Amino acid sequence: MKAPHGGVVALLLVWLLGTVPALAGDRLYLYNWNNYISEETIKRFEAFCGCDLVQDYYSDNEEMLAKFAAGAKGYDLVVPTGNAVDALIKQGALLPIRKDLLPHFANLNPAYLDTEFDPGNRYSVPYAYSITLLGYNEPKMRELGIPTDSWAALFEPQYLARIKGKVTVLDSQRELMAAALKYLGYSANATDEAKLRQAKELILRAKPYWAAFNASSYIKELTLGNIWLAHGYSNDMFQAQQDAKRAQRPFTIGYSTPKEGAVLAIDSMVLHKDGKNRDHPALAHRFIDFMLEGRNSADLTNLIGSGNPNRAAAPYIDPEIAANKAIFPDAERLKRLEMLRDLNVRQRRLLNRLWTEIKLR
Amino acid sequence: MSKAKGEGLTRWWVIAPPTLFLLLFFALPSLIMVLASFQYPGEYGGLAPLFKDPARPDALAGLTLETYRFFFSDIIYVEIFVRSFGVALATTLVCLVAAYPLALLIARSPKKHRDLMVLLVVLPFASNFLIRVYSWMIILGPLDLLFSSFAVVVGMVYVHLPFMVLPLYTNLEKHDPVLLDAAQDLGANAWQRFWRVTFPLSLPGIFSGAALVFIPVLGMFAIPELLGGTRDILIGNLIKEQFLGSRDWPFGGTLSIMLTVTVLAFAALAAGLARGGAARSG
Repeated sequence: MKAPHGGVVALLLVWLLGTVPALAGDRLYLYNWNNYISEETIKRFEAFCGCDLVQDYYSDNEEMLAKFAAGAKGYDLVVPTGNAVDALIKQGALLPIRKDLLPHFANLNPAYLDTEFDPGNRYSVPYAYSITLLGYNEPKMRELGIPTDSWAALFEPQYLARIKGKVTVLDSQRELMAAALKYLGYSANATDEAKLRQAKELILRAKPYWAAFNASSYIKELTLGNIWLAHGYSNDMFQAQQDAKRAQRPFTIGYSTPKEGAVLAIDSMVLHKDGKNRDHPALAHRFIDFMLEGRNSADLTNLIGSGNPNRAAAPYIDPEIAANKAIFPDAERLKRLEMLRDLNVRQRRLLNRLWTEIKLR
Repeated sequence: MSKAKGEGLTRWWVIAPPTLFLLLFFALPSLIMVLASFQYPGEYGGLAPLFKDPARPDALAGLTLETYRFFFSDIIYVEIFVRSFGVALATTLVCLVAAYPLALLIARSPKKHRDLMVLLVVLPFASNFLIRVYSWMIILGPLDLLFSSFAVVVGMVYVHLPFMVLPLYTNLEKHDPVLLDAAQDLGANAWQRFWRVTFPLSLPGIFSGAALVFIPVLGMFAIPELLGGTRDILIGNLIKEQFLGSRDWPFGGTLSIMLTVTVLAFAALAAGLARGGAARSG
C-alpha cells in the first residue's frame, strides 16, 4: 500500500476543519450506562440541537455513585436506577426538572411515574426500565420439568438437583436478597433482620447447586449452553436470546417474570447539580424532551430490548418485543413488581454481613 | 569538604523525586485510608464528616473504633483472610514449581537465546489482562472446570507466573558454573549439585519472586469474580464490595488496614526466619 497523496491529506484536513465549527458549539455531557442510547438517536439529536453529546459510561449504579462520592464533576445528565436516584436526591446532588420545558412529558405511562423515591417526579424523568427475572435454556427446562414462572426454580433443591452447576445468580446483594424475599412472600425492600436471615438461609440452602455469582458473563454462558438457568436483567436476557438465534444454536433462550413478583428497575434521566451546563439547563431539557418522543424512545427498546415507559413509543417498537410479557408486563404482573429503595448505613452493614456469610459458606 | 557536600546534594536530587512520589501517592493515600477506617460511614456512601455540623447536631461525625469492633465481632471476616492467604500461598507454590525449571532452562541456555526467551515470558503482558482471563473462561468452560477454586488458582498462576520467572532468572543467571564443576569434582551427583549448590544460592530470587506473587494475589478481585464459583470470595472482593455494593468506606478502609498489617507481619516473620536460617547455616 502506498502512502496517501498530499492532496488526500489536504482534503481530509479541510473536511476536519469543516466540522470544527459544529464541535465548537454547545456540548451536553451525559453519564450513561454502556450501550444505553442508539447511535441513530445520538445523530438525530445532535442534528436537532446543533450541539454535541459527550458520553461517559458506567456499568453499575454503585460505580456511578462511587465516582460522584469521590468528587466527579461536569456531567449534566445521568441515568441512574431508582434506588440510586433516591440516594442522589437525598444527597442534594440533583437539580429540579422544569416540566414546562418538557412538552412530551405527557407521553409517559403514569404507571412508571410518581415513584416512592421521587413523588411528583420533581427530579427524575423515566428513560427505560428492566425487570430482574429468570432467563433459561428452553428445551432443557422443558425436558427436565422445571417451572420457569417461579423463583422456585432458583431456590428449591428438588428442581436444582436436576440442573446442578448449570445455574448462575446475580452478584448483587440487593438483587439476590430481593429474589429470595419475594419467593418467601415478603417485600423486596424488607429490612427486618429476621426476614433477611430467613432469606439468607434460603439462599444458603440453594447455593451448593449454583455454579457462580455472576453479573458479567451470564449472557455469554447462556448463549453457549454452559448455563441453563440464570438470574438476571430482562434486557440481558433479550440479548442472550438474540445472540443464540443469530448463532443458530440448537436451543432457544427464554425468559419470564416469576409469579411471586420481581424487582423493577426504572432508569431515569436526572440533572446533576455539578453539570457543565447547569447555568443554562435548557440544553439538558431539550435532550430529555427529545428522548420522550416516541420514535427516539423506541430506538433503545428495539436495540437492547429494554422496557419502555413511554406510551408514544408503542407504534415504533418491533411487534415481537412489544408482545413480550417479560418486557411489557400487563397490569396484573406490573402490580407484583417492586422497585428497590436505598438503604441506610445500619441496614447496609447488616446486609453486608449477611452477604459476606452467603459468599463464604 | 565542599565536594562531599556537593555529592550529598546530588544524591538528594536523585533520591528526592521517587521519595516525593512515594510520599504523595503511597504514604498520603495510606494515611487517608487509616483515617477513613476510624470515621463513620456517610449516610449515602462516602464518609461522615470529621466535625459536627452545628445545623445537624444528631448526625454522626468524628472518629470511632466501631468499625474495628465490627470487624472483630464476627469470625467470618477472619475466615476470609485465612482463605485468601491459602489461595495466595497455593498460587505462590505452584508458580515456584512451574517457574523454577523454566528460569533454570533460560539461565543455562546459550546467551544469544536468553533475551528472546525472556521476551517470550513477558509477551502475554502485551494483551489486556481481562482478555487473558476471558480466554481462560473459554478454555475452562467446555471442560466443566470454570467457576471453581481450581479455575481461580489457574487464573492466578497464569497471570502471576512471569513475576516469579523473572527474579528467579535474574538470580540463576548470575551463578558461576565453576561452582557446579567443583561440586562434581568432589563427587556430587546432579541432584546434590542442585540441592546443595544451586538451590541455596537461588533463595534470594525465590524470596523476591514469592513476594511479587503472594502480595498481588492477596488483593486480586477480578479473577475470583470471573473464574470463581459460589464460595471463592477473597479479601479483594470483600474490600471492593465495601466501596461499591455496601458503600461502606470505613469498613473498606479497616479491611485494607488489616490486610496491610497482616502482610507486614508475615514479611517480618519471613525476614526473621530467613535471617535465622542464614545465621544457622553461616
